Amino acid sequence: MKYTTFSREQNDALKEPMFFGNPVNVSRYDQQKYPIFEQLIEKQLSFFWRPEEVDVSKDRIDYQALPAHEQHIFISNLKYQTLLDSIQGRSPNVALLPLVSIPELETWIETWAFSETIHSRSYTHIIRNIVKDPATIFDDIVLNDEILKRAEDISRYYDDLIEATRQYQEYGEGQHTLPSGDTINISLRSVKRKLYMCLMSVNVLEAIRFYVSFACSFAFAERELMEGNAKIIRLIARDEALHLTSTQHMLNIMASGEDDPEMAEIAIECHAEATELFRFAAEQEKDWARYLFKDGSMIGLNETILCQYVEYITNVRMQAVGLPKAFETSENPIPWINTWLASDSVQVAPQEVEVSSYLVGQIDNSVDVDDLSEFSL
Amino acid sequence: MTDKADGKRPWVFIQGQQAFQFDSQQHDSLLEAMEAHKVPVHYECRSGYCGACRTMTLDGQVEYQHQPIAFIRKGEILPCCCTPTTDITLVRD
Repeated sequence: MKYTTFSREQNDALKEPMFFGNPVNVSRYDQQKYPIFEQLIEKQLSFFWRPEEVDVSKDRIDYQALPAHEQHIFISNLKYQTLLDSIQGRSPNVALLPLVSIPELETWIETWAFSETIHSRSYTHIIRNIVKDPATIFDDIVLNDEILKRAEDISRYYDDLIEATRQYQEYGEGQHTLPSGDTINISLRSVKRKLYMCLMSVNVLEAIRFYVSFACSFAFAERELMEGNAKIIRLIARDEALHLTSTQHMLNIMASGEDDPEMAEIAIECHAEATELFRFAAEQEKDWARYLFKDGSMIGLNETILCQYVEYITNVRMQAVGLPKAFETSENPIPWINTWLASDSVQVAPQEVEVSSYLVGQIDNSVDVDDLSEFSL
Repeated sequence: MTDKADGKRPWVFIQGQQAFQFDSQQHDSLLEAMEAHKVPVHYECRSGYCGACRTMTLDGQVEYQHQPIAFIRKGEILPCCCTPTTDITLVRD
């Protein structure tokens, strides 16, 4: 079905499937086929925050005083999150908007992606504040092999779906010979399958990969270091909880078949592949933990503990989407993380952060007559 | 097993754990009561939107203070934002 930005079909949005129906025409929120997406929009809007609200000035001093191996842990995580939110700030829109067919889900996708851009802006806010030259950090993201490995495994599900959608909308179903001479076989079912696996991979990204990074940020904050960063991460985690809830709903609605019976069949067919996706992502995150702690660990967190947390959180997230647990680990090795993830204690009031610029010896307080030389009355 | 709450302090039965009575005077949510009775339970947001605390019930009813938005299956509850209104049996993994 050819995409149009305003379908002239006089359709009933309450009867459309979540995806692959008629493109959305009127954006209306007075009625929903799935009220959950409307509730998610409202909740996300209520969570709106700006990175500049958070004072990260003490973090600069903390970061400079960190030993080199801890700086490596901190900055590597920041680079990784920058990668994740760079992808997330654009991909739900690019991949899902051409396919969505109900207004509440279309707008949820846009709201979700927008909130990811706020996360990206917050990383610039932090990085600008803690290093003299932000470029050295941003530039390394596309040079660092360890980061690129994970980028490949995340973006390929989106890229596959985008390409399949493009071909489907351009050529329609059936066998076609491309200008290059290659033959391709397009079926709607195969595009649906790619959508399902893409959503599964997005769920893994937000429900597992992000949480591995969160664990590191909060481990610093437990030691009262990088607290500005931790405040931002709390806000980000609050948003990510909504996002993972949204993909859980999408995946489970699909699997139930109530929205599109063919999706229920696809969910069953993809069971093994989805299980493997989770398992593979968990192993990648463990490799990442090895990389993070290669030069040394820190109080409260090391490679072993973080790997256990990866296994634990993977199990929790797999069960949420109807998959069997992949690992034996059944207890959370870092229960302290939950205090940071609890929502009602998220605050950004400046008075809550200890501002160290009052500390003697940290800031140069001496004022010279020459400092005032440029003033004239 | 009784269906009605025992003087408004319904029993909470959990496999492999000591049963306890939920006291709404002491705890605002089932999660708080579970924690007070040292029942291991996973939680994150504690506000009904992340789903981390989802728990399967075998029987019993709960009441939510606000409509939660996390995904739960039929029979599952979110202890972080509900209280039991009848005796209830929870399943542990």
